[in-house]
Amino acid sequence: MRITQFFLYTVACLLLATSVQAQDEDFRKNAPKPGPAPKIELGDYEQFTLDNGLEVIVVENHKLPKVTFQLLVDAPPKAYGDKAGLAGMAGQMLSRGTKERTKAEIDQAVDFIGASLSTSATGAFGSSLSKHKEKLLSIMSEVVLQPAFPEEEFDKVKQQAVSGLAYRDSDPSAIEGLVSNVMRYGSDHPYGEVETEETLNNVTVEDAREYYDYNFKPNISYLAFIGDINAKEAKKLAKKYFGSWERGTVQKEFYERPTPPEETEVDFVNVDGASQSNINITYPINLKRGTEDAIAANVLNAVLGGGGLSSRLNKNIREDKGYTYGVYSTISPDRLVGYFSAGGSVRNEVTDSAVVAMLEEINRLREELVPVEELEGIKAYLFGSFARSTERPETVARFALNTARYKLPKDYYRTYLEKVDAVTPERLMEVAKKYILTDQAHVVVVGNKEEVAEPLERVGTVKYFDKVGQPIAAANTEIPEGLTGFDVIDDYLEAIGGKEKLEAVEDMSMEMSTSMQGMAINMTMKRKEPAMMSMVVEMNGNVLNETRFDGEKGYVSQMGQKQPIEGEQAEDTKEQAMLFPEMSYEERGYTAEIVGVEKVNGEDAYKIIVTDPDGNKTTEFYSTETSLKLKEVTVQEGPQGESTVTNELSDYEEVDGIKIPRTMKTIGAMPAPMTMKVDAVKINEGLADEEFKVE
Amino acid sequence: MKIKFMLSALCVAVMLSAASAQDLSIEYDAYTLDNGLDVILHQDKSTPIVTVGVMYHVGSKNENPDRTGFAHFFEHLLFEGSENIDRGEFSEYVQNAGGQLNAYTSNDVTFYFETLPSNQLELGLWLESERMLHAKVDEKGIETQREVVKEEMRQRYENSPYGTFLLEVLKRAYKEYPYRWPTIGSMEHLNAATESDYVNFYKDFYVPNNAVLVIAGDFAPKQAKQWVEQYFGSIPKKKGSFYRPNVEEPALGGEVRDTIFDEVQLPAVFQSYRIPSRNEDDIYAVQMLAKLLSEGESSRMRRALVDEQEKALAVQNVIFDFEGPSLAIAFAIANAGVDAKAVEEAMDAEIKEVQNELISEREFQKLLNQVETEFYTSNATTFGVANSLATYHTLSGDPELINTELEKYQEVTREDIKRVANKYFTPDNRVVLYYLPKPAKP
Repeated sequence: MRITQFFLYTVACLLLATSVQAQDEDFRKNAPKPGPAPKIELGDYEQFTLDNGLEVIVVENHKLPKVTFQLLVDAPPKAYGDKAGLAGMAGQMLSRGTKERTKAEIDQAVDFIGASLSTSATGAFGSSLSKHKEKLLSIMSEVVLQPAFPEEEFDKVKQQAVSGLAYRDSDPSAIEGLVSNVMRYGSDHPYGEVETEETLNNVTVEDAREYYDYNFKPNISYLAFIGDINAKEAKKLAKKYFGSWERGTVQKEFYERPTPPEETEVDFVNVDGASQSNINITYPINLKRGTEDAIAANVLNAVLGGGGLSSRLNKNIREDKGYTYGVYSTISPDRLVGYFSAGGSVRNEVTDSAVVAMLEEINRLREELVPVEELEGIKAYLFGSFARSTERPETVARFALNTARYKLPKDYYRTYLEKVDAVTPERLMEVAKKYILTDQAHVVVVGNKEEVAEPLERVGTVKYFDKVGQPIAAANTEIPEGLTGFDVIDDYLEAIGGKEKLEAVEDMSMEMSTSMQGMAINMTMKRKEPAMMSMVVEMNGNVLNETRFDGEKGYVSQMGQKQPIEGEQAEDTKEQAMLFPEMSYEERGYTAEIVGVEKVNGEDAYKIIVTDPDGNKTTEFYSTETSLKLKEVTVQEGPQGESTVTNELSDYEEVDGIKIPRTMKTIGAMPAPMTMKVDAVKINEGLADEEFKVE
Repeated sequence: MKIKFMLSALCVAVMLSAASAQDLSIEYDAYTLDNGLDVILHQDKSTPIVTVGVMYHVGSKNENPDRTGFAHFFEHLLFEGSENIDRGEFSEYVQNAGGQLNAYTSNDVTFYFETLPSNQLELGLWLESERMLHAKVDEKGIETQREVVKEEMRQRYENSPYGTFLLEVLKRAYKEYPYRWPTIGSMEHLNAATESDYVNFYKDFYVPNNAVLVIAGDFAPKQAKQWVEQYFGSIPKKKGSFYRPNVEEPALGGEVRDTIFDEVQLPAVFQSYRIPSRNEDDIYAVQMLAKLLSEGESSRMRRALVDEQEKALAVQNVIFDFEGPSLAIAFAIANAGVDAKAVEEAMDAEIKEVQNELISEREFQKLLNQVETEFYTSNATTFGVANSLATYHTLSGDPELINTELEKYQEVTREDIKRVANKYFTPDNRVVLYYLPKPAKP
């Protein structure tokens, strides 16, 4: 429904005309002028070093009765290869038990004083009301200096890390972030390596302890006291609680600096059924913190997409085109290797247009001088951001930490705004030419392959990756001339036994089994022509799910709830209940389009999109060699958006002259892929209709 | 003699510390313009910035049931411009002044705010007065924002795991009350909107006598008041009453239970209990109960479900303290391989425990300590103060809660916590949703 010509303001005017006209309202016409710019007073801080080399920073601020303690262990980045994830697990272990206390005791002590405490691979963070400061610091010292690495806690950390992966792999923006890292740095680099279930399982509690023993040394660490505390007190506390920490040698590892790709490429990760594409235009850059380039690059980024809704990217992609809820960019300096990144999520139809528009917008920075007026606005924005950030004493502490850690000039932050002010349009273009590489970018797109991948060819070669950034091999075979989807399906029916034999099947029952987390799951499925079905799923003897369908209606009973199968779902189930639905695809008005050849577990397969008369699609894969069905992918549209289930079929064996897959792997329906073994198959045993009766 | 001397020294020390103890209360000046606009000023000169915010007492609950999503959509539209501000210039003014702007829409209120360097206060007041006096929206703006809102819906709800939970909870937890739809509303409703919908909504709610203006930060009070009068004083008030839903929401009348099959890998359980509004005294005991269950690592549900039984990856209790009938939502995401039912049973066991056993003095003291920490943390920024003042004023009619709410918590007893657990956290007063991975096709 389109709305024609409507202007709210006309009515607003009508409403107000009477009251406002009487007065002199000229002052409303133009934006008021600002008063003289305020001076930003950066809070002072004190800094001293303990005998063991620990650098201590104190930022006093008594506005609130609170303190924050921040310990930063500047552990050098390192790749852990087949133990990726080790550092994070080691960091979590610190607060999971000390020589004095169990995790539960630590938690109770921290919570009792209303404090918070967390530990990571690079230190610890604590915060509380100032009246509890010593208590909190003593606990923090205990977890940092005397962690005990209890085995049973380690198993829990590992289990949770593994569960976390399942969550990660269902979140498109997490996939995009992870794959972007792999693309930028390569999976051998500390910033690019990927945690998988396998690498997490390789880590032992001893590895975690070694990580700690090696890296947690005072002479590479910084301790910041922030808030309602004075320097004298901080000094006393630092000595008391961290003075006994022993120094040690921590070596840096050398890594080859990652480089951008030769030419711009699209790195595509398929998420079947996604309603949006997550886009990230990214590549590594060699930009160090604190350099003049870093300051100019920060200004450049604010122009492009680092700021609010008025950045160029947001104005173009959100405000003009309405493609997105928001797009943002980052130019990040780093000691090892920095990065450029620009992206956001956009709806499927406009994915390629959004990428093209963003690349153009980004590239404009190289081609055109930023107008002086726009630059002045950006400088004002950066001034304001800086002013706003100083509201929190944590900012002053961060400045102090950075100054020490990156060996910045002492007045770096005090003169920061002056340096920003000195940046000219010409200087911006110079920096853009150095760091804006739209011809050498990874365009990472996480989205619905069928709907959005092909048009992206106009941006660059489209390469396909899985959800952890590993390349997906391309198939070798081409589609023979004239081969149709139904030809492939006919070959399949022939291969599993031939139409005649298949038509003679009246009923079939299957017993299947699988295990999840050590629990045995058994499934019995019985089917009878036409479209009757009964299924029982048991775990350790308890019935988890019972489904019955009499050909027209049915129910699913799951977790104590019984839901009827009716309407559209019944139609769907009818299809599932058929023994060989492929036999009647044509007569039921389905179409079968052959769209390509892809690898399925190393085997070339024809990819067929089967569409039913209602437009529902299933993607089926049939071996080019054996003609057997290897995989089917279903995307279902529901009230919660779309979702995908993949079934992989293998180990075909003959039963009464008909080939039946004895192994079925289901992906996307359970937390982890589930492999079902078919233990027994019976054909034409004469199942009675009563077995499928629905009350 | 010596002892006596020491004692008196101690006395002096005690007196001194009492005298120098920080006065931590938030001072403010509240008054009302002739047109009904409430104004609250809080001065804090520690950083040269100032937050200007206007909270309108309109949220998704004020919507027409066949125009859901309108309040939130309107929030987007009111950045489009005004009589004196062209399309796209609104955010540009703020950005070029070094400020930051944003807005949010809840079920009860819509809040617009910008934080600016202190020398730009007048700009902030001008912008907000333009928004209140004569906002302007053209067709291009409406079309564009409609697309933007659709993308917001996809990004926040559809394309994010468990993202739809609040939508699913609300429509089951309320039968009558207009909290039964979410703020994001329905795209169909927004598509169906006509010119008069826009005009009426603006006329009905975007008026001074339905709003509070808050200024927090570094400013000169006299000058600020003068500008407030200049920019807002002549904006006409609305005559007549405001639509406030006066709907009696019946008791849930029995447990509601449902399963949502979604694009997730781990099952999750959402238990939503109906609780009273934020203005009932019981809300404080309910808030403390929620902390008892899931605030901090030692909280009961976290310890039991995550640490000891390893059934859940995460567990959280969130209180949606609305102006009307409210909700306490407990949710847990199951660990890989754990059944939703097992997770729910473990959650129920923790609720049972609170219902049957009085919590210990020590655990109760812990809750008070947590409340105290949180109380001070929320006032850390000028935005935090402005937001609290506006919210307390609009929804509870008392900005002074910013200083006195802590006392309300301190009045809660251990018995109260047990009592509210028994009163509200019962099966027949809840909606239970399972989020399960879409089932494998047989």
